[in-house]
Amino acid sequence: MHSESHAQQRTGMAQSVLHEIALALAQLAETGAPNAIDLRSLPMTEADRSELQEALGRGEVSATLDMAGKSDIWETRHAGVWWVRHSGSGDRIASETIEIAAIPDILMAHRDDIRAAAARLSAELAAAAPEPV
Amino acid sequence: MNLLDFARGPALDVAIAVFLFGVAWRLLSLWLLPHAVDRSVPRSDAPSGFSARVAGFMRHMTVPKDFKLGTRFAVINGYVFHIGLAIVVFGFAQHILFIKGITGLSWPGLPTGVINLVGVITLASLLAALVRRINSPVLRLLSGFNDYFTWFITMLPVLSGLLAVSHLGARYELLLSVHLLSVAAMLIWFPFGKLMHAFLVFLTRGQTGAFYSRRGVKL
Amino acid sequence: MSEPMTIGELLTARGISRRSLLKYTAYLASTLALPPMASRAMAEALASTRRQSVIWLSFQECTGCIESLTRTMTPTLEDLIFDMISLDYQEALQAASGEAAEEALAKAIEDNKGKFVLVVDGSVSTRDGGVYSTAAGKTNLEVLKEVSAHAAAVLSVGTCAAFGGIPMAQPNPTGAVPVSDIVTHIPVVNIPGCPPIPEVMAGTVAYFVTFGKLPELDHLNRPKMYFGDSIHDRCYRRPFYDKGLFAKSFDDEGARNGWCLYEVGCKGPVTYNACATLKWNAGVSFPIQSGHGCLGCSEPNFWDQGGFYKPLSSWAMGNRALIGGAAAVGVAVGALSAAMARQQRNAAVATATPAKEKQP
Repeated sequence: MHSESHAQQRTGMAQSVLHEIALALAQLAETGAPNAIDLRSLPMTEADRSELQEALGRGEVSATLDMAGKSDIWETRHAGVWWVRHSGSGDRIASETIEIAAIPDILMAHRDDIRAAAARLSAELAAAAPEPV
Repeated sequence: MNLLDFARGPALDVAIAVFLFGVAWRLLSLWLLPHAVDRSVPRSDAPSGFSARVAGFMRHMTVPKDFKLGTRFAVINGYVFHIGLAIVVFGFAQHILFIKGITGLSWPGLPTGVINLVGVITLASLLAALVRRINSPVLRLLSGFNDYFTWFITMLPVLSGLLAVSHLGARYELLLSVHLLSVAAMLIWFPFGKLMHAFLVFLTRGQTGAFYSRRGVKL
Repeated sequence: MSEPMTIGELLTARGISRRSLLKYTAYLASTLALPPMASRAMAEALASTRRQSVIWLSFQECTGCIESLTRTMTPTLEDLIFDMISLDYQEALQAASGEAAEEALAKAIEDNKGKFVLVVDGSVSTRDGGVYSTAAGKTNLEVLKEVSAHAAAVLSVGTCAAFGGIPMAQPNPTGAVPVSDIVTHIPVVNIPGCPPIPEVMAGTVAYFVTFGKLPELDHLNRPKMYFGDSIHDRCYRRPFYDKGLFAKSFDDEGARNGWCLYEVGCKGPVTYNACATLKWNAGVSFPIQSGHGCLGCSEPNFWDQGGFYKPLSSWAMGNRALIGGAAAVGVAVGALSAAMARQQRNAAVATATPAKEKQP
């Protein structure tokens, strides 16, 4: 469709985002302070997004999350720069961020979930344990 | 009803009604005025009444070289803003839509960038006309409320139109409303002020041409 | 019913992890245009608060707003909004009906007096005491006044509740008015649209639940975060408008090339909503992208502005009687003034002639 042809144009936004990532990464290296960039809020075309993805590449780690729809997270070829893509219903992309951190928050198990799981596990084991002789 | 609805609706209704009423009244009352029959004997080589009128009008289109630069500049500047206004009014797509809504006629519009440029030139030309009017001692002596107000009511649609199309200065609906209201104001003032020259210029120049042509003078 | 458990506890009881909540707040932060780092704080805040009690009343409406909000049948990311609120009363979605429903409403109000958020969709009929829209013998007007007396805030969802909507279109037979005309003692937030974008409705509720206050509102009491920009400001076809390339009619060459739809009546320049950025059906498209001009459905009186297909620059009314009459009167006055002039001339000639005859 002709009206989508402008979506194929690169606007240079990918380069701007890369510069911002570089700044945030330098700050992370120095102070350990994490940062994030919301890609959906920026006026990026499809071509810009592909350009950014190509420029960042893929690193050693990738993860698929399965909750309320699918989520894909992968480390780019730059350590500490992660691509976080959350999908909602029908694989529609609900949010897309670049996280500059040692590890994205969402990959870590939350302390409330851990607490609940610890309680659940001991309860399951207690229920399954054979009667003491 | 918000301001835009009012500007697009009742304001334009009233403005066009007053415009038609005023133009009909003035033209008809002038046309039906009793006039003395010209009892002088026409020159043998005098052209017919109609062609003399047309010739008279055409002769007023240019300025003889005898006049000073200031006068000639004023006439040329006049052409600039008249033609500029015509290009903007009849060449801008949104205006063509307006006319199409009334008459059903439409034609291709000019690129918006061209219209913007012509609009700015027209505004500058109008300002130059005002400056000349104020600076020339003769014109300043002759000019009154009618002249200055007519200038203002003509300039306002051009200025507000440029602001609206550039989305400058306020929310778009306010800019568009101001533009439409300024056009309504111009239409209401039209039959009662100097703007009526749009119709009358043909009659006055034609009459001068016919009257003097009969007596052997090309004026 | 008031909930003793926090949202976090409720989610855990349902088997929804904190991680899911973090994913949800990441999505919300994006739609609310908050910095992405805020999602962590939002998740923490939501997990530790109680669910916000919501009573939803429907008046003169088509149910399109609740349809928009509940588009999916399977629990998804977007549906998590319903875990943020305790929807204590909603006629289309609840199981109870009839007398049981009336009891549920009374109990919901009693349990959450002064703290619940009242969500209203549909306009309120006021003519003849509002008898044109009633439920269980009570007029909408009565019910709104009664229930809103105990509410903390009101969300008017949809253009009907926010500005009067289609029922208010000329000649407005039921005397329909916006909710804000009736409720004046507590804040009323308008979330217009016909229907509103689901993310806009959910996002506003989520904002309130997360931050405990209403978002910044514009002069029509609409959340600025969603209604701050006009469609025109964010439209992907704007370059064509700026260049003067317009589709002249539907499906013509310009339309197929995706040119601006100004000439076929698009009201984008004067309509404020998030359609051009958030889009519809979970970001698939919006009217202009599908080739139809914006109707202006999130603005007051959008249905009475001279026609959806009349461009903004056209003359909206055209009262033929007034115009024709004015021209006719002009002609008459013109003829009359000329006749008067003739009469004056004749009178002057009559009195002057004797003097002229005396000349040699």
